[in-house]
Amino acid sequence: MTFRGFVLCATFTLAGCAHSSVVLLPNANGGHGEVAILQSGGVAGETIVSDSNTRATLGGSRPSVRPLGAKGLSSSEALLVSALPPAARSFDLYFLEGTTDMIAQSLPVVEQIRAEIAKRPGAEVQVTGHTDTIGNNADNDLLSKQRAKEILNLLVDKGFARTKMSAVGRGERELKVRTADNVRSAVNRRVEVIVR
Amino acid sequence: MFRSSGLLVSLAALISSPAVAEIGRIKSSIGIATVQRGTAHIPAASGQDLLPGDWLETGKDGRISLTFIDNTRFAVGPDSRIGLSTFDYNPTTERGSFVTQIERGSIAVVSGRISTSGRDAMQLRTPDSVLGIRDAQVIVEVSK
Repeated sequence: MTFRGFVLCATFTLAGCAHSSVVLLPNANGGHGEVAILQSGGVAGETIVSDSNTRATLGGSRPSVRPLGAKGLSSSEALLVSALPPAARSFDLYFLEGTTDMIAQSLPVVEQIRAEIAKRPGAEVQVTGHTDTIGNNADNDLLSKQRAKEILNLLVDKGFARTKMSAVGRGERELKVRTADNVRSAVNRRVEVIVR
Repeated sequence: MFRSSGLLVSLAALISSPAVAEIGRIKSSIGIATVQRGTAHIPAASGQDLLPGDWLETGKDGRISLTFIDNTRFAVGPDSRIGLSTFDYNPTTERGSFVTQIERGSIAVVSGRISTSGRDAMQLRTPDSVLGIRDAQVIVEVSK
């Protein structure tokens, strides 16, 4: 680094010459969120980057914000994006009223879950049991837990390691479709399986 | 005698203290890629669990892909050092806070539940800046 370069860096940043950049990309659903630059070059502020495909160069006390333009991402940036793990996938399995018996129509979904686990390296599975609002809370907590356990055991039988899974019961706290108390609901009697 | 039973008691207390909960897992890695936990260097192998305070380190041709329990996803590029400084998440309320330190290198981030649970609940910090990630997909690079 030249002496002049050093002086410039020391003038513009508190952290020496390291400078950083952030690129805001579109989300998978086509929308995009925001990045708030809360501090740049050691100076607090709030610069909002809210257009996707925009690059902000940080380090100066006023970040420079520009569209990516025709050049797009660098090859190393594109490689980074392609290395992101796939988004988590969620599946619902349904049950007969008051039981831990899955309905027949949910059987093919178990196969989909197995296939999804198989294609993800280092997969982990989160199993969450739910009930409808028939019966009291304590009974439903227990029933939802038993439903989750039932599915966990089913996946263990299919060869997936128990240590990679977690199961919880949420009773009637998290209804898929909101109902009054003591209402039968086939869609609320479910186990949600998230494969990550 | 008395002293040694005291040691046993404190050992038992250590063992029975609640385990720190896992916050995420390594999905894949290539090249030199490690998880630094305290003074330990753990290979960043597929399936390795992650705890708050862990540092992810990659060598010249190293890469790590990982996910978190709030559905945040990371891809870490070569020659990087990334600290998982704060990760508090309540899966029931789906609220929390998440601070990642990017000391050097590059990272692609797709934010998860924590980032939507409160304004700037998810932050990325580089040596000279602080970013609030608001339900967004970003690439951050720290050049030397």
